[in-house]
Amino acid sequence: MSGSRLIGRLIESLRCLPGVGPKSAQRMAFHLLEYNRDGGRQLAEALSMAMEQVGNCSECRTLSEQTICLLCSNDQRDRSLLCVVETPADVQALEQSTGYRGVYFVLMGHLSPLDGIGPEALGLDLLEARLASAEVKELILATNPTVEGEATAHFVSEIARAQGVRTTRIAHGVPMGGELEYIDGGTLSHAFAGRQEV
Amino acid sequence: MTHTTRVSLEPAWILHQHPYRDSSLLLEVFSQEYGRVGLIARGARAARSRWQSQLQILRPLALSWNLRGELGTLTGAEPRGRVVMFPGRQVLCACYLNELLLRLITRLDPHPELFSAYEQAVDALADNEEQALRLFEKRLLQALGYGLLLDHEYDNGQPVEEQGLYEYHLERGPVRREQANPDGLFLQGSSLLSLHRDELQDVRSGREVKQLMRAALGLYLGARPLRTREVLRQLSSLSRNAPADMATLSPNSPAG
Ligand SMILES: [Zn+2]
Repeated sequence: MSGSRLIGRLIESLRCLPGVGPKSAQRMAFHLLEYNRDGGRQLAEALSMAMEQVGNCSECRTLSEQTICLLCSNDQRDRSLLCVVETPADVQALEQSTGYRGVYFVLMGHLSPLDGIGPEALGLDLLEARLASAEVKELILATNPTVEGEATAHFVSEIARAQGVRTTRIAHGVPMGGELEYIDGGTLSHAFAGRQEV
Repeated sequence: MTHTTRVSLEPAWILHQHPYRDSSLLLEVFSQEYGRVGLIARGARAARSRWQSQLQILRPLALSWNLRGELGTLTGAEPRGRVVMFPGRQVLCACYLNELLLRLITRLDPHPELFSAYEQAVDALADNEEQALRLFEKRLLQALGYGLLLDHEYDNGQPVEEQGLYEYHLERGPVRREQANPDGLFLQGSSLLSLHRDELQDVRSGREVKQLMRAALGLYLGARPLRTREVLRQLSSLSRNAPADMATLSPNSPAG
């Protein structure tokens, strides 16, 4: 390819990005080299700093370069509310579209016994210690409504119950603007099981 | 030239799934007539995939695919029957069944009788977990051609008696003994016979049969430990002072 080792390596490396195949990797590489070397240098620097410095928050486990992330160290947040989610992207989603003022606990996945992902990988011991400290008054389960997400929620709620912490579950069901007849059985039975008084 | 098999709405369960390429899934499927099949579900991880909430473990499905070579391509997925919600504990037990199938049966080896045993076990988990798991293990060994001899002594053909004590020799069968020793695998005749009759009601036979099954499966599983067992172990150490539901998971967990 193109007689350049460095370009070949750049194209190969770009392919680690999700959604990037050989064609688009090649387009990106030539674009940066031909038209945007400054952008490329900034990208390289940002990438290498993030890869070196971003770890996990010691309280909520989300991705952060601080020992305690900005959200956990923000004294405006209500520390008596703890919302359990699967991924840092879920934190972003909730922050962007809800008025939630509590804090989070990020499992960084869900229970997946066949992949060897169990309580240790999900940091449930850390969560248990957090609940034992009596700071948390309500635990909000916001794991995904998949079979594994539900099983994860079940075990988290067992831990909360053992610590005497009230547990709630975000509602799952019919999407806004959705029509019942087009919704799949799993979603519909979830929505039905979670019906509320009006 | 490889011939393409087209399969339409075949009763099946997803045993496990892995991300595949950018937005697809590699499904490990257990189907009624074709046994284990590996299927690629193209675009199944994309935000607006029609399959997104459909393709899950522990859901009875009807799947369609085209197969050419070793991996097939999923062409359709429909729910088959009512969606049952499994509480956390049953999910782990069912994952244990899935792991046994993935470890012990090879792709494209048809096992229709084992498929119905799997459906029965998944259904029965809620009522009698121990019995559901042990009977599935028994059927699995039979399907692999390693069925256990349970009602006769292997050396002299004498029928096993309820009151007798037996030492079980793996890959052979039971032999009557006067007393147990710590090196062997010992069971009461009543335990062997209750497994033979597919009814494991009392605690003692449950415990003895579990040890027998664990040893028998261990022969074919080899040295690599089962991941579901490790996850069950972690849950038990986490929940040492937790309420009943979790505390009962292990160390005497049903999956071993
Ligand atoms: Zn944090």
